[in-house]
Amino acid sequence: MDERKSDRLATLVFWIFGALTILVLGFIVVQILVRGIATAFKPSFFLGKPEAIKAGGGVLPMIISTLYLVALTMVISLPLSVGAAVYLSEFAKDGLIVKFIRFSLDSLATLPSIVFGLFGMTLFCIYLRWGYCLIAGALTLSILNLPVFLRSTEEALKLVPITYREASMSLGASRWTTTRKVVIPSAMPGIITATILPIGRIMGESAAIIYTTGLFIRNIPLSPVDTAAPLAGYIWYAQSEAMVPDYKSVVDGGAALLLVMVLVVFLLARYLGKRFQNKSHAGK
Amino acid sequence: MMEKKIAIDSLNMNYGSFRAIEDVTLDILSRHITALIGPSGCGKSTLIRCLNRMNDLIDGVRVEGRVLLDGDNIYEPTYDAITLRRRVGMVFQRPNPFPKSIYENVAYGPKLTGMRGKDELDYIVEESLKKAALWDEVKTNLRESGLNLSGGQQQRLCIARVIAVQPEVILFDEPCSAIDPVATQLIEDLMAELKKNYTIVIVTHNMQQAARISDYTAFMLVERQGEPGRMIEYGDTNAMFTNPKDERTERYITGRFG
Repeated sequence: MDERKSDRLATLVFWIFGALTILVLGFIVVQILVRGIATAFKPSFFLGKPEAIKAGGGVLPMIISTLYLVALTMVISLPLSVGAAVYLSEFAKDGLIVKFIRFSLDSLATLPSIVFGLFGMTLFCIYLRWGYCLIAGALTLSILNLPVFLRSTEEALKLVPITYREASMSLGASRWTTTRKVVIPSAMPGIITATILPIGRIMGESAAIIYTTGLFIRNIPLSPVDTAAPLAGYIWYAQSEAMVPDYKSVVDGGAALLLVMVLVVFLLARYLGKRFQNKSHAGK
Repeated sequence: MMEKKIAIDSLNMNYGSFRAIEDVTLDILSRHITALIGPSGCGKSTLIRCLNRMNDLIDGVRVEGRVLLDGDNIYEPTYDAITLRRRVGMVFQRPNPFPKSIYENVAYGPKLTGMRGKDELDYIVEESLKKAALWDEVKTNLRESGLNLSGGQQQRLCIARVIAVQPEVILFDEPCSAIDPVATQLIEDLMAELKKNYTIVIVTHNMQQAARISDYTAFMLVERQGEPGRMIEYGDTNAMFTNPKDERTERYITGRFG
């Protein structure tokens, strides 16, 4: 086959693969939206309280639970991951301890999320007697996300050229000052991007939270130790356990709403990341 | 008066089990330019990085022997590397300004030592940029990113950044290898000016450059592959380039290898 033909064929093949992926994704998104969008944006649904046995319940406490859970998880895991990533990439000398940490992280990354859920329940809810609550869910999700979060933060730090570090150290800066004033600011856009992806995962995670935060509530959770019911878990609950006659529309509406929420949070995080990036590139 | 600024005394440097340089003894005179020349891989960059302990940053580096700065051994365990690097600044092979504004690049060092006052910082930034012959080109856009400058300008920004720390010695590690001839000329002129106030050591692979700008030259060589780099000859630059004592030096500077 001549060079030009084979190139065209390759282009076509890869185009088909690309198109297939988009098609599958598009199909799912359209299905979810078509089925649920009408319910999702009914004020009585997204501003209402859920019902236990009657039809017509809403999901406002679940929306709040989800947002609360995302915020709490980020507050816990961001400093933890960035701190650990800074240690691994800037301070640690390659040795047994670092190898052990990496091995543990890789093992952690392969565990199914239900294992984290059961672990969180055993430790936080039962052993520490916290019961179902937001903070138990947030801690569980922080552990769940640690490997991904840490790895991507570390990658962002590794992308900072070694020459920046050398320049700073050669001017008489300590390693910590170099990390604080040069490495982290330069890696910030990457770190922000690294934090966006887990947000989607936290919002959509159900297995890790059904045993830790709770599944059904009627009032909006206020404190981190309140029982909550994040939307993703509630969708599962409504589908499999709930006794409301209109559970089908609760599930569809909830799914569409969750999709829209993830999208909004995603776009918001990206916008903030971009803004930060522009600011840091403008100098100052 | 020939004042010794740095005395390198029987210095060996090892990366793990590999010995990179061996038994280097060399005096660096105050307010003169000393050039380190030699073929690639001869250990000249390694040697210059021993003078401000930049090699400390690499795992598995072990140094034996002494490097005396004004008579004090910088490899004494009690010697503080941070203080050392403020006294012995460095300009690198590739210009490496921070992704910050021109102003912040120059102010970085002074701020480390706790300088905060705006007037004070403004003054030192302006003075440093002037000494680095960059002020006229950047005085209207100090707030712009240092990365937007041309390569030669970036290298002068890095020189200004070093000057702002007010070091006594400035190490140049092949400072012109990544910039064009016109910018190289500017930097060479600048060095000639800087040696009035600073002790300068420059690593260069360019023998003409060493001959043009330096007062003293040290020639280093790895004789057989796998052996450490050793210093072959050291002396007055003119004498070495017109009448080298060692046959290996002669072969190198006449371009027969390297």
